Amino acid sequence: MREETRREAVWQFLTYGFILLGAVTTLVPLYWIFVASTLKESEFLSSTDPRLIPGDSFLGNFGALRARENVQFVGHVGEMTQYVDLGPVYFAYDFWNLWNMGAIESSIFIAGVYTILSLLLCSMAGFAFAKYEFRFKQPIFYAILATLILPIQLLVIPLFLLVSQIGLTNSYWAIILPWLANPLGIFLMRQNMRSIPDALLESARMDGATEFQLYYKIALPTMKSSLAALSIILFLFQWNLFLFPLVILDQGKYTIPVAINQLVGAQRVYYDQIMVAATLSIIPIFILFLFLQKQFVSGILAGSVKE
Amino acid sequence: MATRDSLPGPDPSVRDRLRFARQSVGELVPTPGEGIVGYVFLLPAFVLFGVFLAFPIVYTFYLSFFRFNGVGNDTLLWIDTGFLTYRLTSIADLEFVGLANYAAMFSDSLFHQALFNTTFILVVQVPIMVALALLFAVALDASFVRLRGLFRTVLALPVSANLVAYSTVFLLMMQDAGLVNYLLTSVGLPAIPWLTSSFWSRMTIVGAVTWRWTGYNMIILLAGLQNIPQQLYEAAEIDGATRIQKFRYVTVPQLRPVLLFVFVTSTIGTFKLFSEPVIINGGGAPLDSTITIVQYIYQAAFIDFRLGYASALTYVLIAIVSVLSAIQLNVGGESDA
Amino acid sequence: MSRITLDTVRKEFGSGGDKILAVEDVDLEIRDGEFLVLVGPSGCGKTTTLRCVAGLEDVTSGRITFGDRDVTGLRARERDVAMVFQNYALYPHMDVRRNLGFGLKLSTKLPAAEIDQQVEDVAEMLGIEELLGQKPKELSGGQQQRVALGRAIIRDPEAFLMDEPLSNLDAKLRSQMRTELQTLQHELDVTTVYVTHDQTEAMAMGDRIAVMNGGTLQQVGTAEEVYRDPVNEFVADFIGSPSINVFDATVDGARLDGPGEFSYHLSETDPVEGLRTVRVGIRPEDIQLVDNGIKLGVNVLEPMGNENFLYATLGEQEVTARIDPTNRPHPGESVSFAFDEAALYLFDPETGASLKTKRDGEVPTTPDSIPNREGVESTTGTGPDTGSNDDRMEETVE
Repeated sequence: MREETRREAVWQFLTYGFILLGAVTTLVPLYWIFVASTLKESEFLSSTDPRLIPGDSFLGNFGALRARENVQFVGHVGEMTQYVDLGPVYFAYDFWNLWNMGAIESSIFIAGVYTILSLLLCSMAGFAFAKYEFRFKQPIFYAILATLILPIQLLVIPLFLLVSQIGLTNSYWAIILPWLANPLGIFLMRQNMRSIPDALLESARMDGATEFQLYYKIALPTMKSSLAALSIILFLFQWNLFLFPLVILDQGKYTIPVAINQLVGAQRVYYDQIMVAATLSIIPIFILFLFLQKQFVSGILAGSVKE
Repeated sequence: MATRDSLPGPDPSVRDRLRFARQSVGELVPTPGEGIVGYVFLLPAFVLFGVFLAFPIVYTFYLSFFRFNGVGNDTLLWIDTGFLTYRLTSIADLEFVGLANYAAMFSDSLFHQALFNTTFILVVQVPIMVALALLFAVALDASFVRLRGLFRTVLALPVSANLVAYSTVFLLMMQDAGLVNYLLTSVGLPAIPWLTSSFWSRMTIVGAVTWRWTGYNMIILLAGLQNIPQQLYEAAEIDGATRIQKFRYVTVPQLRPVLLFVFVTSTIGTFKLFSEPVIINGGGAPLDSTITIVQYIYQAAFIDFRLGYASALTYVLIAIVSVLSAIQLNVGGESDA
Repeated sequence: MSRITLDTVRKEFGSGGDKILAVEDVDLEIRDGEFLVLVGPSGCGKTTTLRCVAGLEDVTSGRITFGDRDVTGLRARERDVAMVFQNYALYPHMDVRRNLGFGLKLSTKLPAAEIDQQVEDVAEMLGIEELLGQKPKELSGGQQQRVALGRAIIRDPEAFLMDEPLSNLDAKLRSQMRTELQTLQHELDVTTVYVTHDQTEAMAMGDRIAVMNGGTLQQVGTAEEVYRDPVNEFVADFIGSPSINVFDATVDGARLDGPGEFSYHLSETDPVEGLRTVRVGIRPEDIQLVDNGIKLGVNVLEPMGNENFLYATLGEQEVTARIDPTNRPHPGESVSFAFDEAALYLFDPETGASLKTKRDGEVPTTPDSIPNREGVESTTGTGPDTGSNDDRMEETVE
């Protein structure tokens, strides 16, 4: 009996040790990004005395990052070319025009617009597949399903040619449009919408709802948690896109990954500035992650739904 | 009881009027027939899918039989109505080369190198990561563990880090005089040439990818673990199974489909590796020992502008991934009810 | 409020080779304000018929009219009917108030305040005023049921269509809601089509009952009609609980020879004229235990309190009888029974059509109160030796 409890204690100790080791290994690089962004380059690059306590150079590094000419990481107010005082709407319009977006705003803007539009498209397609009968439904669905296994980011070559032909090069739309009909999104929405009882839709039909009202008044509201989970998958997908934006976008429209890549690839690498950029790039997702932690987990799980 | 037409109540408010207006508009829109509604909902996604996914998949295959000479300029169609002229140009200026692009791969040593590097990373990284993810999941699933939610969140945190941003951090930490070597030397171990030796530079990539994705896979496995019926463990307990035996004979077989999913997605993920080697090893250094297939495709396509050859490479990659996934599904799917 | 007419309504699912005929040429008229129950085993086409009336399914051929209005080609939302679903189909993301008001909001031009007023009225009528702010998942089964009803009532439709609305409630609540529903329907006087697989519910609730089987309408009539005068063996078997005992018998003139010791002389031979065999049916309550009669081997006795169910065998045939609660034969024992010829059912062995049905008009159906001594006497045949019976039969016939 004694022996038993002693072994149990050792086992628990080992388990906790393992988990803690994993947690620390996970957190050190993240913490170090933050620490390094607050230090002078010489301070954190020193191999004899690496600092692990935040310093006070963050604003200085940030200033240096903003002052760079080849990469616009954070936006700034542009020159006021025209100003029409016609009330708040025009003020917003002017502000929009005046604000030169940097990589952070571009990334948030692109990922945000992409997420909203893709949610709309995927949920509509998923609704059609889940709740309607039409000819060629199965073949179309399986065609979309088959592309799930393809690394779709690999289709950059024809996409590049296509986008050039349409004249969308160096446009945000070139990054947003190609993956709007996200196969994973369509598949997940279809799976989840199958759980909406037919009687619910029929009931609404009897209540006088049109087919489109069924979609946005019944189906969408009941799918809230699935939509939240999917929105995280979509946002992260777009947020991490690197290859295609690298090919398509020109300086001044860079997204975060492309912008950081420019900093790394420059003649003289300013690591302090890179660390500020990395810190800034992690913050938005970090906040999103903390807020939507529960949906994030279910979102990842939704991605693993078996057929 | 509702009486439809008599309105003894108050006058309609603005919101009501808006609602009535919407109803009237709605009545004007013809309702599509039963077999049509599905198409209407599907249409937007289908068009985009066709243009930006189905077409590229087909066109990549087409391209792989050509040499790319430049962006298209040939006129395919010219409509001149007097007011308006419309010109449809070909998408690219191409020269048919048959199977030459595929044949060229056999003598392309850089491609072989890229294939080797990717395979090396795959063989080392995927098993290590899946094993780690499984161990973390089992550890977190243990009944005595407190703060499970917190640990789960912390371990999954790296997924939220931007691919390029975290790669940069690894680049910095793995410098000869970086944080990792500092820690190694301070406990009396020799410093490791993380970025300058071919072997260790690959291991750096392995480490970075493992750091980022272990937590993600752990969450999937954790969910799988929680779906294993508790009675199975109780039955094993009664039969006198040890902890290890329970893991071996209950957990692993029950988790098989989820493990399979994790293996397949991780394999596909490894074949897509691009950002990490580009940032950490500056595009294949040292001596192309870390160049991956996707990276090589990128070089061929957008630096050398050999789009036809790059397309052929893409298809070879797609073929490899499909075959590997099929094999994994077949091997792992056996004896699965 | 109106009469609903189904004119040779036919519904096929699928196309080409694997067509499934769900509803076959149903003719049915539901009177204005009537409570009609569509009953039948699962898969008999009753729900499909209801959904055709609702407009949720297109009919393959035939016509459906509400009053004089042909609604065959109209969609559900244009037909002005309300439906209550088996699982209630309450909108999970809306509270009770919005659930009730949703239909009015979509299909009428009533101002919001008026809709609100009607919601309050209906809620009060159903006694669910306190629940208006709650979401469906916070309600009990009975409360959800009321909200579903309220959602139908508030729209003041031409007809209520109900698809097994009580089957998800527990037994006690179900019988309570049964009464409540009937009272409500009576007050509102709205034509109602009610689908159920439960014949007890059908008997208890319907003004008339329509029995369906295999996609065809078997019989329409009041509870008493379908019970006492079923058109065929299926209806006789489906209506009544426990089910009627039916077995094969050979016809020899006026004599019927069945399983075990069963032998009986008909006083009326017209129904079996020209037949070699016939299907014989006896309702469990028409089996009377007597001292001298056809022998039964007792298997199980189920005491119900107010009566006992006796499960016994007649030769190879399982037989059920409802007997007096004071009568408690033990398993393994042997008892004798007799029955009244007026209570006898006879069915054609080929078509199943009824040849003779219950005619014991004046007699109440509880077995312990059948004092028809003549009948008892005439049927207390003594086993295989039926010679004396023959004579007596002839007497009775004359």
